[in-house]
Amino acid sequence: MKHTLQQIFRSPNFVIGFAIFMALILFVFIYPLVVPDAPLAIIAQGTFFPPGTYVSVYDSLGSTQYTLNLQNASAARIGSKVSDTDKAAIKDYLVLVGVPEGQIDLTDTQKLLEQWKTNYDPNKNISGVTNAKRNQFIRLNTSLQNANSDQGIVLASQDPTSGALTQTGTVKLTDYVDINQIASAKVLPLGTDNFGRDVLTELVSATKVSLQIGFVAGLIATLIGLTLGLLAGYIGGMLDDIIMFITNLFTVIPSFVLLILISFSIGQDQRGAVTIAVVIGFTSWVWTARAVRSQVISLRNRDHVNLSKLSGHSIVHIILSDILPYIASYVVMAFILQISSGILAEAGLSILGLGPRTTDVPTLGLMMNWAMIYQAHILGKWWAYFPILLDIALITFSLNLMNTGLDQVFNPALRD
Amino acid sequence: MGKVILEVNELTTKYITRFGEDVYAVDHVSLKVEEGKSLGIAGESGCGKSTLALSLMGYYFPPLHYTSGEIIIDGHNITGMKPDDVRKSILGTEIAYIPQAAMNALNPTQKVINIIEDVVQAHDPSKKKKDIYDLARAGFEKLGLPADVLQRYPVELSGGMKQRTVIAISVILGPKVLIADEPSSALDVTSQKMVIKMLRNLMDNGMIKAMIFITHELPLLYNVTTDIMVMYAGQIVEKGAAKETVFDPLHPYAKGLMGSIIVPEAGLRGVKLTAIPGVPPNLKKPPSGCRFAERCKYVHPECKASSVGVTTVGDNRTYRCILSEKELREVYKNAN
Amino acid sequence: MKGYRRYFLNKLAWFLVTLIVGFLLNFILPRMMPGDPVALIVSHMAQGQSNASGVQAIYQQYAELFGTNQPMYVQFFIYLKNVARGDFGFSFSQYPRSVADVLSASIWWTICLQFPAIIVGWLVGNTLGALAAYLKGGFDKVLMPLSIFISNLPAFGMAVILMVIFGVNLKWFPTSGGYGFDLIPTLSLQFMWSVIVHYQLPFWSIVLIAIGGQAIGMRSMSIYELNADYVKYSRFLGIKDNKIVMYVFRNAMLPQITGLALSVGTMVGGALVAEIVFSYPGLGSTLLNAVMGQDYPLLSAATLIVTLMVLTANFAIEIIYGFIDPRIKAAQAD
Repeated sequence: MKHTLQQIFRSPNFVIGFAIFMALILFVFIYPLVVPDAPLAIIAQGTFFPPGTYVSVYDSLGSTQYTLNLQNASAARIGSKVSDTDKAAIKDYLVLVGVPEGQIDLTDTQKLLEQWKTNYDPNKNISGVTNAKRNQFIRLNTSLQNANSDQGIVLASQDPTSGALTQTGTVKLTDYVDINQIASAKVLPLGTDNFGRDVLTELVSATKVSLQIGFVAGLIATLIGLTLGLLAGYIGGMLDDIIMFITNLFTVIPSFVLLILISFSIGQDQRGAVTIAVVIGFTSWVWTARAVRSQVISLRNRDHVNLSKLSGHSIVHIILSDILPYIASYVVMAFILQISSGILAEAGLSILGLGPRTTDVPTLGLMMNWAMIYQAHILGKWWAYFPILLDIALITFSLNLMNTGLDQVFNPALRD
Repeated sequence: MGKVILEVNELTTKYITRFGEDVYAVDHVSLKVEEGKSLGIAGESGCGKSTLALSLMGYYFPPLHYTSGEIIIDGHNITGMKPDDVRKSILGTEIAYIPQAAMNALNPTQKVINIIEDVVQAHDPSKKKKDIYDLARAGFEKLGLPADVLQRYPVELSGGMKQRTVIAISVILGPKVLIADEPSSALDVTSQKMVIKMLRNLMDNGMIKAMIFITHELPLLYNVTTDIMVMYAGQIVEKGAAKETVFDPLHPYAKGLMGSIIVPEAGLRGVKLTAIPGVPPNLKKPPSGCRFAERCKYVHPECKASSVGVTTVGDNRTYRCILSEKELREVYKNAN
Repeated sequence: MKGYRRYFLNKLAWFLVTLIVGFLLNFILPRMMPGDPVALIVSHMAQGQSNASGVQAIYQQYAELFGTNQPMYVQFFIYLKNVARGDFGFSFSQYPRSVADVLSASIWWTICLQFPAIIVGWLVGNTLGALAAYLKGGFDKVLMPLSIFISNLPAFGMAVILMVIFGVNLKWFPTSGGYGFDLIPTLSLQFMWSVIVHYQLPFWSIVLIAIGGQAIGMRSMSIYELNADYVKYSRFLGIKDNKIVMYVFRNAMLPQITGLALSVGTMVGGALVAEIVFSYPGLGSTLLNAVMGQDYPLLSAATLIVTLMVLTANFAIEIIYGFIDPRIKAAQAD
């Protein structure tokens, strides 16, 4: 046993898979200790806030102000205010007034603005420019001037009775606050989703639930497959024929069709994560049953099994001590694959809208489903779908890598 | 002394493992087989006898690699030839091989006749299928195999029939030397007998001129071959006429090997069976002195010190031990 | 020929048995759930409908169609009769279209998308797997982890990735639909071109997933075959290496064909979800619509059609296999 474990942990495939999987598990368990928020709490008003640190504007005004004279601050400010469409409009204008295209560099905002300043003349009449276009240039000019302003902002408070404004302070361009001193700030490493929920917190919780679904589904599938495989392989005869008939039937009848039918019939209200896991488990045992059966058949007539039979041991005893230890590696491998396919099955079902009830807990499939429905992928909101895909891929990849590693340890022909 | 058909001088081949280590499984092996003679090779599993069989073909593929030495078939040195020339003009036509596991030696998805077509056309692409069929049919009939086997898939043949088919395919191009690697060990007794009979017929009919027969079953060797060679850890430790080697071995390993088996000959009945303790040395790092020293009952301190040369006794008998023939006989006498 | 006929009849019988069981499950599973399916259907339909007599009429119509007030076996024969006539009733969500009408519009999209994709993926995957086993070294070291990774990606994941890269960012291909939304299906060149362009992303996402899985399987099979005894023996018979490699790949391919027959169901399942990502007008989207619209007749008919498709594909592969593997004939003739 010790030797086998040593061998397994010497297989690079297994070790990499195991490391990824363990890292995921650790993260799933440690993260809630650090961020104990409810995974489905809606914190954002609006959809798809990008990843970042969100700082309370009100609190930052009240916070201690520091003066920093930073050289590139104004350039960065202007740059952030001049959008790509603005730049394109500037270029259009410059070309119209005869600036050679080679001299216009869209990446150099500073230079572009200078070129605009020197060339723009609101009164100039350029042929072929519509009125609408001219008005657009005027608006652009105003907004660029605002962006370029070096004026600060005056803070005022309103008198509740008279409505009169009194100045309470100013914010200069060189005023800064220390983010650590602001009372309220929230880090959203993966932004928010379509419902305004923290994606990372949701994802961690979803990973946990999906792993549980995979585990329960895998356990059920493996237990059914193991039992049927053992019975068919060891007892044989009529029982074998019947079990194999059923197994062959469910090998060709697509299991996801059964999954869809059952999940649909159960109805939205009854579908919890556990129910889904059980349904997946009950529709995915065939491969385990087949593999176990063929292994048991090859073991059935080995000398040590015959010896045990002659010694008068019961069938249960023979199966437990003379058969199971020999097929244990296959069963473990099958179990690992079942976990992985269980997670994928849940994801597929959820995308079809047949996932677990949506109000209790998130699953990876449900998160994917929400991201798809709200078109996160088309809108370019990568944080709402890509981490989920990566998460699913990492889980299944690590499980399969572990499986490949085990396979290489137990089937030496595949090593090269 | 007859014409030498196969001559091997100081042949050394090695395996390169996955980790890049060299394992010299055949270490400076020399032998000669004359026309009409058959040489048996005996030894424990892992002693290099199967590797020697592979090495003798003069055609190497990883992990087996040629290192040094020469192989001369009927006066023709094949060691300097390009691999593809060996394949085309030596394999199957000069020297042929019968594998250990005939069960899986034939491509399962081809009919026997198609396998033969591929073999013949690999050497002579212009040969017509009709001619190949006639050749195969004639060959099979000569060896007492039913011609309808040609139209069968290997899965349809019984174990014994499969092995005999393999032999027939191996000699279809009339090779001079046949190397049989445990051709009968996986078969039931009846099939074994038929296979052996077939091999003997091949020799008697002159269809092959010389044969090398490898087995761990010594009684079989004594019955089939004219000469016997004993291998240990990649080296030949004793070589001589079959009768001498079986009944009067000189090398302590040969002595131990012969003592560990039942020989159904009257002269040896009643001899107590003895086992050789220990295991063969690791060939990744062979011991510098005599390779058998670790397990030898009669070991001397000098045995482990320096390498051991080959001693020749009489015309055709050699062994690898620091003791002389006389000393060895003395030692054996005292041991009894 | 006798051997083939026996094999064929054997497979045909098995096809019919699986088909019957598939039908039975399709019929029984929803009915095993608590509650009257027709009442459930009608309650879903009646939501937002105030006309009580209308609800009653719908209930009557469906009770008659499904025969819910009769014993189970009678219901089954009613179901069988309806299916045989291609009568699946009306779609709830797309009323007044009939289910048969909805399905006949979507089924060809799925067939034309998935079967070529699965076959191309199978061929390319097997070629790559065989090459990895034969060439080993760098090619193998790059291809294998990549294949393992890709084959572990769900098909919808691959669909999303391809769509984001080639549809949203590079804008080379459209992101959704089976053809331009402004076009009317005709045989015009413009329409055909639109179909071809819309076809690419869903097609390649299915192909890539299939390649990954098949390459891994073929590599293992090829390594196993390359170490087989007949390879060594054939070499010593003087047969050329490339001829031996042909033996090996042919022999390694045969189990891959049976493997395809067994996994085609799973592959189709994954591909249906990928269709949804692209809003491809096939059965995947139909299933989604059926689920979203609580459209029981449509869902039931769609799953039945999918089962039928998978079983037929399976049967077809088995028959082709019978012709390719010479041993089948030999084994059956005895």
